[in-house]
Amino acid sequence: MISIENLSKSYGSKIVLENINLNFEKGKVYGIVGENGAGKTTLFKCIAGLEKHNGAINCEYGKPKDFLGYLQTEPYFFSKITGNEYIQLLCNARNLTNTDLKEKNIFDLPLNEYAVKYSTGMRKKLAFTAILLQENKLFILDEPFNGVDIHSNIIITEIIHKLKEMGKSIIISSHIFSTLNDTCDEIFLLKNGKIIKRVLKEEFSNLESEMKAFTIGNKIEKLNLK
Amino acid sequence: MKDYFILQFKMLNRQLTEWGIEPVIGYILGLFAFIVISIKLFKETQFAEYIYIALALSLVIKLNEVNRNDFLKLCYSRKEYIKIRIFENLIVSIALITFLLFQEKYLSSILLSISVCFFSLIDLKNKSSYTLPTPFYKHPFEFTVGFRSNYFIYFFAYFLTFMSISVDNFNLGIFSLILTLLSCLNYYTNSEDAFYVWVFSLTPKEFISYKLKNIIQYSTILCLPIIISLSLFFYTKIEIIVGFQFLGYLFIFTTMLAKYSVFPEKLNIRFGIVFALTLWLPPLLLLIIPYLYIQSTKKLKEILQ
Repeated sequence: MISIENLSKSYGSKIVLENINLNFEKGKVYGIVGENGAGKTTLFKCIAGLEKHNGAINCEYGKPKDFLGYLQTEPYFFSKITGNEYIQLLCNARNLTNTDLKEKNIFDLPLNEYAVKYSTGMRKKLAFTAILLQENKLFILDEPFNGVDIHSNIIITEIIHKLKEMGKSIIISSHIFSTLNDTCDEIFLLKNGKIIKRVLKEEFSNLESEMKAFTIGNKIEKLNLK
Repeated sequence: MKDYFILQFKMLNRQLTEWGIEPVIGYILGLFAFIVISIKLFKETQFAEYIYIALALSLVIKLNEVNRNDFLKLCYSRKEYIKIRIFENLIVSIALITFLLFQEKYLSSILLSISVCFFSLIDLKNKSSYTLPTPFYKHPFEFTVGFRSNYFIYFFAYFLTFMSISVDNFNLGIFSLILTLLSCLNYYTNSEDAFYVWVFSLTPKEFISYKLKNIIQYSTILCLPIIISLSLFFYTKIEIIVGFQFLGYLFIFTTMLAKYSVFPEKLNIRFGIVFALTLWLPPLLLLIIPYLYIQSTKKLKEILQ
């Protein structure tokens, strides 16, 4: 569905992404993991076309942005826009007329209230609902489970399974390994702007232990907690 | 506390630099403009004193923002917090209070100073979940957000229209129309998050047409009560009313184009100068609009690619 060839991105002399080569197929869920600052969000922005980059992104359907639902880590909301209006705005942007928002409000959000008054989790659920109603073919979900309550986490996981069944491609970043374990077919490990490892489903448990050992090391001892 | 104000000063300087103004020049020009406008205002209108009080209080209320104050409360002790709040409220209103004193409005300046300090001690938390309905829900966001933030301007403008008819003053009516159009124009002066442009599946030309359609449709809705009232009571001057309305569309359209011509950066002082020039000589729009249109399509192409 979408292939990325030699994607590189720099800010001045600082290289953020280096020679990324990835291939995302229909009906599959991909996880991108890496420490804060590893380049995950920059990679997503490059795929979305929100950041200029070197290298090529080839899509089966044309411009990725026209069929891409991008859930940002911290979705931005205007100060006085209601949940309903936010969804309306995103649907207008794709020339879609959405009716029956009440029925589709599966997270029971107070859609007639201003979105800025929502909690972190509610904002995420609103932004997620909006991109689902856009009828996208590809989804980038940047930390979709962050700040979201456990019930909604279950719903989000089920939605991801459903999207997969429908033949859509989903790319997820998450710092909660169990959520990736439940949803992904493949996980890519991003470190210092490079994909250093590709892990298939059957090797996920090894990856978790490896990451734990590698990430924690003797860092806790260094803190010298008292 | 000293560090806090040094940081605020640095942030203000950075903001001025972002607007394209050298801070020192900005402060000198700002002070000069304030004195000139104040002298003129007190000479021209008997309401200047009240305008100053309202202005000072609105600045102080703006500083009384819940999240910001909660952050300050977390950082500082109660005593320090109150000191900071009193100082910052006095800083933002000091020029207005001083000018009131200079104009020998002693009672107003004393009452204003007390009110400003009083507002430092209270929290204006808005716990209401009331959502102001608007007729603009089909195509958010500029007019929905703008109307909810500035609805009082429209009530004031409609009141002025009513007054213009009552006292048979056509110029006042036109002023109310200009006020409404300027308020609509203001919705296009701030750049939105790039996501809200990126999300559109449109070409730059289609995107600009979509925005233009919204401008015409929604600003007409807001201006319609004024246009109809003035046309009925000053029907001999209907061409002037239509002329101002048309110019209003052009100026709002120009501002929208200017915003996207530098997008996602913010509009800077250069636009302010060009805008002032076009206000002085509107035919300049004929040159500026095509230029801004080309620049906007270039910038939008990068995001809507």
